[in-house]
Amino acid sequence: MIYTNNKQAAVVECKGLTKIYKRFLASQSKAVCALKNISLSVAEGQIVGLIGPNGAGKSTLLNLMAGLIFPTAGCVRVCGYPARSIEARKGLGYMPEHPAFLGRYSAWATLRYHGALLGLSRQAACVQIDKWNEQLQMDEYIDRPCGDFSQGMKQRLALAIALMSDPRFLLLDEPSNGLDPIGIIQLRDLLKKLRDAGTAIVISSHRLGELEKLTSDYIFLYRGEVVSFGDKITAGQVGRLRVELASNGIDVAQRLLSPGKLLSVSETELVIAVGDDNEAPDIVRSLAEGGARITSVLLQREDIENVFLRLYNERA
Amino acid sequence: MRAYELMKETFFRKMYIYIVHLSWFAVYGLFLMLEPEEDGFYRTFFIWGGFFLPLTLSAGIFGDDISSGRICVLATRPLWLGELYIYRLLGLSVQGGVHFILAGGLLLIIHRFTGIGSTDNLGSWLFSCWLLFNTWAALSTSLSVVVKRAYNFVFLLAAFLFFGFLNSILSWNSPDDTTTEVINAFVRYVCPPFALLTKMAQGEYAKYSLIVGKYSAIKAVACVTHTIVLTVFYGLVGVLVLNRRQFAGSRE
Repeated sequence: MIYTNNKQAAVVECKGLTKIYKRFLASQSKAVCALKNISLSVAEGQIVGLIGPNGAGKSTLLNLMAGLIFPTAGCVRVCGYPARSIEARKGLGYMPEHPAFLGRYSAWATLRYHGALLGLSRQAACVQIDKWNEQLQMDEYIDRPCGDFSQGMKQRLALAIALMSDPRFLLLDEPSNGLDPIGIIQLRDLLKKLRDAGTAIVISSHRLGELEKLTSDYIFLYRGEVVSFGDKITAGQVGRLRVELASNGIDVAQRLLSPGKLLSVSETELVIAVGDDNEAPDIVRSLAEGGARITSVLLQREDIENVFLRLYNERA
Repeated sequence: MRAYELMKETFFRKMYIYIVHLSWFAVYGLFLMLEPEEDGFYRTFFIWGGFFLPLTLSAGIFGDDISSGRICVLATRPLWLGELYIYRLLGLSVQGGVHFILAGGLLLIIHRFTGIGSTDNLGSWLFSCWLLFNTWAALSTSLSVVVKRAYNFVFLLAAFLFFGFLNSILSWNSPDDTTTEVINAFVRYVCPPFALLTKMAQGEYAKYSLIVGKYSAIKAVACVTHTIVLTVFYGLVGVLVLNRRQFAGSRE
């Protein structure tokens, strides 16, 4: 399966990606296939949510995109280069789920350290540190040792580290872990700004509500396979059209609607499944033309949590 | 700047690093005061420092990063992973160098003002210790690339104690036994020439033979070369393993 957004250049491309974990000296039967033949791409200026139940292969896919592990088959290209190459890493910003730092280093020293690893000069590193310190509001604790940090402080610092290289491709693993509501809002705004500036962002998260506010593009993984991808999850999602009638609901439903579309029927209310936004006006029009006395209409879109549950239940 | 930061990190990454250095200074001082007449006895602790110091200072040098998941961020930086290894090893080497220079300086001061101890061959003595330090540091750092946390220290110490114990038992029972010879040969080639470096530092290397001729200078050069070759070899193994290693984030 290949998902591409043809409007923009692909920043990340995965082709036939398979990852099998084998235990040292263990038999073939004990090997675990974490990802099976996955092909996808993420374009610049796109935010993609990586979702799926535990053990679906999200971390494996992130690690492969970050070049931290080798694929068993297939390849990953970041900014046109193999994922583990230095050129690919120049365009990559990675924020792990559990960021760890040297406890004795202050946030400032940690950022300077990473600036050095990026090959920035002392002055350039200071400029970047000031920039991200201001954006992520770390002023209060930038001189404190990282060993004393709360989870939220660690998350902000990890994000600053990931952003120090002004990456073209940003990989975030549970970025809102431990952030307070203000932090979450700031993070969302920042990610939108980065997206608008052309950064491709992949976010692995179980906080579906947060993801929904950022993107409508998802990769749903289940047992190492891409079940659904792109904006099809949400664009093609099943919505509910709730129609309130003055009377004769059952009669109208029997005459005008196919049974497969009806989710619930009563004399005064019909709940109808709709495939997309364009379908709803047609249904309402046909009901009105068929003599139904409509008092109110409400289109309820299925949120990402329900989509997740539906996809999960279909598979499980 | 990259080299500086990575080398600096080896000095400041853990609090116990200072404690280790200070403890060894205390040990040198203690034995210098306790056994001032026994020429050179306290110097044995310099050589032991060449073994124990790199093990303790490099404990978890990569293993801690691997277990905490910090390595995942380091490995996504645009640099050749070998640089991480080389600069950290250089950092340890500088740390060892500074340690032995300070220890030698203290010895000189004590000798100057109290007359205790001896400063004969002090330069070559400290150089030998530093060579040993580098070899064990390379071996320990390479092991740290493979194992998590500070197990590199534990494994190396266990291996050292095991071989030491085995060798003493076998040497005591049957010094000319083939097994003893095999173990000695193995230790001779994979470990730095510990005894030879000791003798070299004492200016007695002419009495001992490695594999080459009778001239002391050649033997000294052979000793130094052997140690440097081992350091480079262990270092290369570490660099290769680090470049081929896969990393996964902490799931804690």
